Amino acid sequence: MAFYEQHIHDAPKTFLSKYIFSYDHKVIGKQFLWYGILFLGIGGLMALMIRWTLAFPGQAFPLIGNFLFPETGGVVPPDTYAMLFTMHGTIMIFYAITPILIGCFGNYLIPLMIGARDMAFPLLNMLSLHLAVLSAVLLMAGLFTPLGAAAGGWTSYPTLSTLIGSPGVGQTLWTLAIFVLGISSTMGAINYITTIITLRAPGMGYFDMPLSVWGLGLTAILNAIFLPVLGAGCLLLIFDRVFGTAFFLAGAAATTGTGDPVLFQHVFWIFGHPEVYILILPAWGIVSDLLSFFARKPAFGAKATALSMTTITILSTLVYGHHMYTTQMSPLLTQSFMTLTMTISIPSAIFFANWLGTIWKGSIRFHTPMLFSLGVVFVFGLGGLTGLYLATVTTDIYLHDTYFVVGHFHYTMAASVLLGGFAAIYFWMPKMFGVMLNEFWGKVHFWITMFGLNGVFMGMMVVGYAGMHRRLYNPFVYEFMERMIPINTFITWSAIIMGLSQIIFVVNFVYAVFFKKEKASTNPWEVGTLEWTIPSPAPHYNFKEIPIVKSGPHEYGNPKLTGDRDFQYQTEELV
Amino acid sequence: MTVLSGVVANTAKNWTFWERMKTPEDISVNGHLIDWLFAYTTYLNLFFFFLVCAGIFGFSYLYSAKKHKKAYYTHGTKKIHIIVVSVIGLSVFLGIDMNITTMSNDDYVGVFANWPKEADKPLRVEVMAQQWAWHFRYAGRDGVFNTEDDVVQLNDLRVPVGRKVLFQVVSKDVIHSLFFPNARRKVDAIPGRITRLWFELKKDGYYNIACAEMCGTYHYRMKAYLTSYNQQNFEEWMKEAEDKAIAENDRENADLYWGWPWTW
Amino acid sequence: MGDNKMTKERMGRQVTSSIAMTVVLVAFSMLFASLFLGYTVFRVTSDVWPPMGFERVDLFLPMVSTLLIALSSVSFWKFQTVFIKNGHGKKQWFSLTVFLGLAFMASQVFLWRSLHAKGIYVQDGIFPSIIYSFTWVHAAHVVLAWIALFYLVPTLKAGLNIEDYENRVFNIGKFWHFLGIVWLIMFITMFLL
Repeated sequence: MAFYEQHIHDAPKTFLSKYIFSYDHKVIGKQFLWYGILFLGIGGLMALMIRWTLAFPGQAFPLIGNFLFPETGGVVPPDTYAMLFTMHGTIMIFYAITPILIGCFGNYLIPLMIGARDMAFPLLNMLSLHLAVLSAVLLMAGLFTPLGAAAGGWTSYPTLSTLIGSPGVGQTLWTLAIFVLGISSTMGAINYITTIITLRAPGMGYFDMPLSVWGLGLTAILNAIFLPVLGAGCLLLIFDRVFGTAFFLAGAAATTGTGDPVLFQHVFWIFGHPEVYILILPAWGIVSDLLSFFARKPAFGAKATALSMTTITILSTLVYGHHMYTTQMSPLLTQSFMTLTMTISIPSAIFFANWLGTIWKGSIRFHTPMLFSLGVVFVFGLGGLTGLYLATVTTDIYLHDTYFVVGHFHYTMAASVLLGGFAAIYFWMPKMFGVMLNEFWGKVHFWITMFGLNGVFMGMMVVGYAGMHRRLYNPFVYEFMERMIPINTFITWSAIIMGLSQIIFVVNFVYAVFFKKEKASTNPWEVGTLEWTIPSPAPHYNFKEIPIVKSGPHEYGNPKLTGDRDFQYQTEELV
Repeated sequence: MTVLSGVVANTAKNWTFWERMKTPEDISVNGHLIDWLFAYTTYLNLFFFFLVCAGIFGFSYLYSAKKHKKAYYTHGTKKIHIIVVSVIGLSVFLGIDMNITTMSNDDYVGVFANWPKEADKPLRVEVMAQQWAWHFRYAGRDGVFNTEDDVVQLNDLRVPVGRKVLFQVVSKDVIHSLFFPNARRKVDAIPGRITRLWFELKKDGYYNIACAEMCGTYHYRMKAYLTSYNQQNFEEWMKEAEDKAIAENDRENADLYWGWPWTW
Repeated sequence: MGDNKMTKERMGRQVTSSIAMTVVLVAFSMLFASLFLGYTVFRVTSDVWPPMGFERVDLFLPMVSTLLIALSSVSFWKFQTVFIKNGHGKKQWFSLTVFLGLAFMASQVFLWRSLHAKGIYVQDGIFPSIIYSFTWVHAAHVVLAWIALFYLVPTLKAGLNIEDYENRVFNIGKFWHFLGIVWLIMFITMFLL
């Protein structure tokens, strides 16, 4: 199937060619992982500062508050608060989830799982990483400008994000950073799509690919199509800020022939709604695979799952209007967007049924990756169902821009993606670093994270329903919100617990990568996909001989199997 | 001042856990439609989420490797599997989605986007948002907007109970969102375009108006008050306010004329 | 040495390269499509076009640009056919393409200067914003493509192995033609209509 054979070059020797200018997809994947984990930490710390301010207004942030905000005696000031939630959203979406799920696992898994020696364009891959680093530098540079970083929310709606609302350089740097990151991700996407089409091992049809690769491939398609849309929006915003154009500017008088701030919202959400699926599709794919691997049972309706994900990919491009109900659309438009949005629930329900079908009558091994995968099913169930309130226009009129929305999208985009990412890290750890993470502490990490996360996001939905809206420095200036103080305190404590539990993971991870002596075996989880046929960690150029694929990725518990294995490698004929 | 002290007394109240989670008191005639749809969706969601949980926890319990040594070998491609999965998919779609979509659309077309007619004699209010305050403008005695006898209020909206109130909203600088938690409505205030909102209140009292869209550093302080009177008290207040406007409005001040002629 | 037979390997690399280039062009099309979407919105919602009393842009310079970019596309196409046949005249056609690209840029600069001369600046409202910004974005891409042309200089050597260079010629060619098409759409929608 592979269109051509990739040559094997010598392994790089020097430090620069090995770690900085490496073409190797595995090294780039790991670099993206470190990059993502670093920003996950920064974004998480910002989240804690936000939560602290909401629950304990006017109290100094513990430990580092005095160091960060000396002028106010450790209390987060209101302008910094706006910067914090803006940067938290941006960092988590573009600099934590994207690098971990797409940058790291996309790079690492696609060639290994389809039996290729590297990506189709290794140089492009390296440039994609370097641009991502450049973009991160631009973004963080905003924090050190005189007026601080961008503070218009991660959606950065004009006219707040134009010079009218934020005169500082920070917002320009933010826009530029997102633009550069868009180029970086598009480069990655070009690589992923081409690799998946042209470099599959001989015998591997599209439906023989693991579902992780399906998820990552669909993500890449959405990235390649819709990141340029955001890019165009960012360009126009930069023009407005730097060259004085008037695309998004308008005055108080309702006249035609001037700029239109709502245009940016259209462009942003044409990109933004697919972005939600860009983030979640890899996690769906990984979870679909892991459920089957650990239930020791073929993935239930794998073809239907793959096609459902494809359907969602297509539908996701048509529904963006439900983010803009409050800008007052005509009832005709609201009805079409409502109906289209609701249609997404058919494929979603189908793969949910398939996930449950996979563990039905399985022989489930509750290792850490499996716990995290089941966690994804749970939290995405919650996140998906709460989306219904926001898709129907009348309930959205009340709930729009309240914490209900925050809770909802954290369940779908943050909780499920985070848990999916952890599942992937725990699962592919032996293949990436040649060591296993500690199972016991992994499980402890899972349970504390799970309880913390539900406390936070469920609490957010409760206060949102009670009427607390988003992005408030001190919500209790509103009389009707004072009764929610205890719930906010509860959310904050949950967040602190969840944040602290990540220390367990970091210690576990760092210990395993740098200090653990005990090496992992080639196939510790007893899984049959191609990456487990080669030694751990994966060697230079992965496959000495390009494997020939003879069966699907999920062959477990076949009663005809003899011997002590209950699974088949993909390189073996189906018995 | 009596109303203000009422608020203070209100906050001193001992709330139960359940009361803390409830929506703000519904004071509008049609707000219950939204509450009802929310509750209805919740019941349906709970049902489906219960199924998901039953699947996750039930299967995890029944089919753990300890209890269930040998997995059942199936790819889920039998006819019965496909039928069950499709039925689940369609039942979510038809059972919840189309159901609530239809209701929501009926509510939207029939009520929320069904603007008051001339015959309803709605009270008209022009709203201008700016960083970080709300301006409300009544037409005044002559019934024409943007004239020198207009009643202009800062962060203080007063409306009658039992009469439709129609707002035209615009913003001077950045995007804001006019949010009446107690009436379950909000609409964005956008520079350069007029948006609309209407409600009819059924209870008098003193409530919060909020800005729901991020509008800068002091977004959280962009609070206004909604005072609803019964018809008679409202007319008294209006008369007083109109007199005051005629007596005190500074005709020379250009800032007075931020309004616009009311069309449709 | 001029060996032009189609191996499976060569075929595979060609297909791979053209798939990637297709994705690249889809991405760039979406960028320009979003810009045109914005333009459409402004155009449709405006009572009169051009708004705020602006005059239409004089058609002469845009027409010269159109002509130049069309000719440069043709000359690139000639260069490519000669390159594949490993024939003569590669250098002439290549230089002509480079020159026409430069001439197109010059025509754009003249366009901007003529607008300035009329006192139309980018800050003046939505109409000049659109005219200037869209031509800037397009011109930036043309500059990139023009720089990329020099990546083809090694292909000008006589008697090289076509297989080693064909994909870069095809890809840069596709991008060059793509920018021509984008300009044509811009010319029709923004200047003619």
